[in-house]
Amino acid sequence: MNTRPVIDVSDLPHHGFDTVDTIWWGNNLLLAIETSMFAILIATYFYLRQNISPWPPPLAQLTAPFSPLPGLGFGTANALVLLLSCLVMMWVDLSARRGSQGATQRGLIICLVFAFIAIILRSFEFRAVKFRWDSNAYGSVVWFILGMHMLHLITLTCETVLLTGWALTRDFDMKHRVDITALAVYWYWVAGIWMVLYAVVYWAPRFS
Amino acid sequence: MAERPQSLAEHAAQTDADRREIRELERVWARPPGIIGWFTDTDHKAIALRYVVTAFVFFILGGIEAALMRIQLARPENHFLSADLYNQVFTVHGTTMMFLFAVPIMTALGIYLVPLMVGTRDVAFPRLNNYGYFVYLIGGILLYVAFFLNTGPDAGWFSYVPLSGPGYSPGKRVDIWAQMISFTEISALCGAVVVIGTVFKMRAPGMSLHRLPLFVWAQLVTSFMIIFAMPAVMLASSLLASDRLIDTHFFNPAEGGDAILYQHMFWFFGHPEVYIIFIPALGFISSIVVTFSRRRIFGYTAMVLSLIATAFLGFGLWVHHMFATPLPQLGQSFFTAASMMIAIPSGVQIFCWIATLWGAKLNVKTPLLFVLGFVAIFVMGGLTGVMLASVPLNLQIHDTFFVVAHLHYVLIGGAVFPLFGAFYYWFPKWTGRLLSERLGRWNFALMFIGFNLVFFPMHQLGLNGMPRRVYTYLPETGWANLNLLASVGALILAIGVLFFIVNCFWARRSGVVAGDNPWGADTLEWSLASPPPDYNFFRIPVVEGGYALWDRSQEIPVVIGLSSTKRETLVTSVVDAVPELRYELPGPSLWPVLLSLATAETFIVGIFTAWAFAIGAVLTFAVFIGWFFGDPNYENVDAKEPPEPRDAADALQYLRSEEV
Repeated sequence: MNTRPVIDVSDLPHHGFDTVDTIWWGNNLLLAIETSMFAILIATYFYLRQNISPWPPPLAQLTAPFSPLPGLGFGTANALVLLLSCLVMMWVDLSARRGSQGATQRGLIICLVFAFIAIILRSFEFRAVKFRWDSNAYGSVVWFILGMHMLHLITLTCETVLLTGWALTRDFDMKHRVDITALAVYWYWVAGIWMVLYAVVYWAPRFS
Repeated sequence: MAERPQSLAEHAAQTDADRREIRELERVWARPPGIIGWFTDTDHKAIALRYVVTAFVFFILGGIEAALMRIQLARPENHFLSADLYNQVFTVHGTTMMFLFAVPIMTALGIYLVPLMVGTRDVAFPRLNNYGYFVYLIGGILLYVAFFLNTGPDAGWFSYVPLSGPGYSPGKRVDIWAQMISFTEISALCGAVVVIGTVFKMRAPGMSLHRLPLFVWAQLVTSFMIIFAMPAVMLASSLLASDRLIDTHFFNPAEGGDAILYQHMFWFFGHPEVYIIFIPALGFISSIVVTFSRRRIFGYTAMVLSLIATAFLGFGLWVHHMFATPLPQLGQSFFTAASMMIAIPSGVQIFCWIATLWGAKLNVKTPLLFVLGFVAIFVMGGLTGVMLASVPLNLQIHDTFFVVAHLHYVLIGGAVFPLFGAFYYWFPKWTGRLLSERLGRWNFALMFIGFNLVFFPMHQLGLNGMPRRVYTYLPETGWANLNLLASVGALILAIGVLFFIVNCFWARRSGVVAGDNPWGADTLEWSLASPPPDYNFFRIPVVEGGYALWDRSQEIPVVIGLSSTKRETLVTSVVDAVPELRYELPGPSLWPVLLSLATAETFIVGIFTAWAFAIGAVLTFAVFIGWFFGDPNYENVDAKEPPEPRDAADALQYLRSEEV
């Protein structure tokens, strides 16, 4: 048995964007896992809603606030912040693809500011829910949804810190440019899933 | 360094330049030595074999628990185990077999064989793979340490609320269960991502999706099922843990929670879980049937579509575990229909195998015996499955030994028998030596007879009304004889497994040397030396047909141009496997182990204080900083602009030309 070379790959690149690179697949598969998780969590929310009528249940105290509905302000602000941050992240994404290091660095820093604002807003969102996690099933599920998304905000921030650190101090090499585009996918996902969760947490109880 | 056995094909083709290159590959892909090396190794074969050995140890432990239960039930009013210990034993038995044995060992075979079958040098994410193993190991140790400290979970392997809730299960037993779930599911999810990444992006040129071996299809389909099913149980166990630890009310009806919700979430995972265990076994069977009938599979496309159909339908069955709950009748009948429908793709596969075997000149070796045993047992289990899918019958025999009999027929028949067949089939590839045929036949015969003796009488016991999970029964029930029969069967089954263990130890030293391809099989792993070299393929082959080795031309077409001074492998396109990148894989590293320790801190200390999560987050981030900045040396990062991938176009043209 002998071999005959039929394909020479020595000119192939080491990295590519999007579906070419394995990192894109790894990233998206992990996001598929998390999407399944949130889908089941949303199903849990509506399942529990069958048990409590009205949803959310009335408040126990007779002082302000009187409405048991979650306050809209911080959640809406966070939705806007996350949407806006996506525009910056798109700029980062395109800059990384183009290979312009300065724009990527600046964009990543702006994104980090957005991420911190989102986390701060989120901590106020917990207070806008009129129940604690241990008050009733409504409180439990809403806190859990907000908490799980908060976990992603924190993870996203940590990942952005790492890549920003790299972009500022190390080579702007192809490998890490691809990583930045994968970070961007994660960013869009975190923002996108919040649009759904925002609708569930803040608007679903207002249409019942 | 010890001389590795070389493939005959490789040896014949070698020039001096080739030998130099092979030496370089050996050096670059060498596995790290010593104890630290054991923790840092990223070689998919080493990790997979660790998984196999660990999972098999858990299989033995689960088997010992089963034996304890059979001793307890052998006669009425026995006091061998106390009621409390019996509860722990059946819970730990079920949990071990499902989470620590069945799923990991199926993934393990995929991790070993998928890269070899698709023709690449390692999995797509070697370090994630290593992390997955350690998370699994820690989860398993957690369960058993707790069990030996008399804190083993005792609410059944599915830990239904309210029994498992804070009101009825105080103490830490159920918390151990819930956190063990997190560990094993993280590990399974890592394995799934690793397998999908490898199948989609690392296939050798020419191996378009319609040439993928059925084994690989089965692993791919299973991995997707894991991705969509496992989050449900992780969420269920997390919500249960939070109900128990921080007083949430998800499953507490007094505060608007819902106990049935838990069942929905658990079985939305639990039913697909059965297929997550069973579908890889279908892959083993297809490999074995093709090899030992020496024929191409009958109805390849139908087989692939059946696998996918089974996976989809598997998500529409979960409520048939809940027929005894007050769900709407109309909804229940939908799930009855879906449960019966899944018999169709299963039937298609059984008939395709029979058609492949029919009239072939069979090479009846132990692996094939186990497959034939599978057909007999699994058909039995399938028949009782159709019975259980009917709501009225199901209500009658709910939570009786009939269900115990059914699930063991399906799981042992559907997964463990093919798995043992797979052990006999691939053992020579893993170790270089064949298992003894004579011991193998004894192994099969004892397991087959023993298995049927244990579980067949349980059908009757269930129909006679014996409930599952009772630690003893009264003599007046008339269940004693059949129980004794089952216990004798258990002994025979255990002796059968013992034959296998003896066979393994014997073959390691004195088995017949296997050579590259002892069975004359068709898939790429058999073109390599046994065991394969660390770098798997000296040259990535170009695949010329659906049966890579059978369809090979005299002069094997190969890929050249990969670096032998880096851990480089070929990344190809998803559908047509056209070369896209020369990708450098990461090598050995301590970070995955450290990360698994951070994960362990989070979940284990989390049982006692919620601060564990904050500490875990900090530890995890610290590990990631190290991982990210710590060892840039593994990669000669390429700062240049990449050249246009013009060779990919040439390759595509080549692959579509007449020549292939």
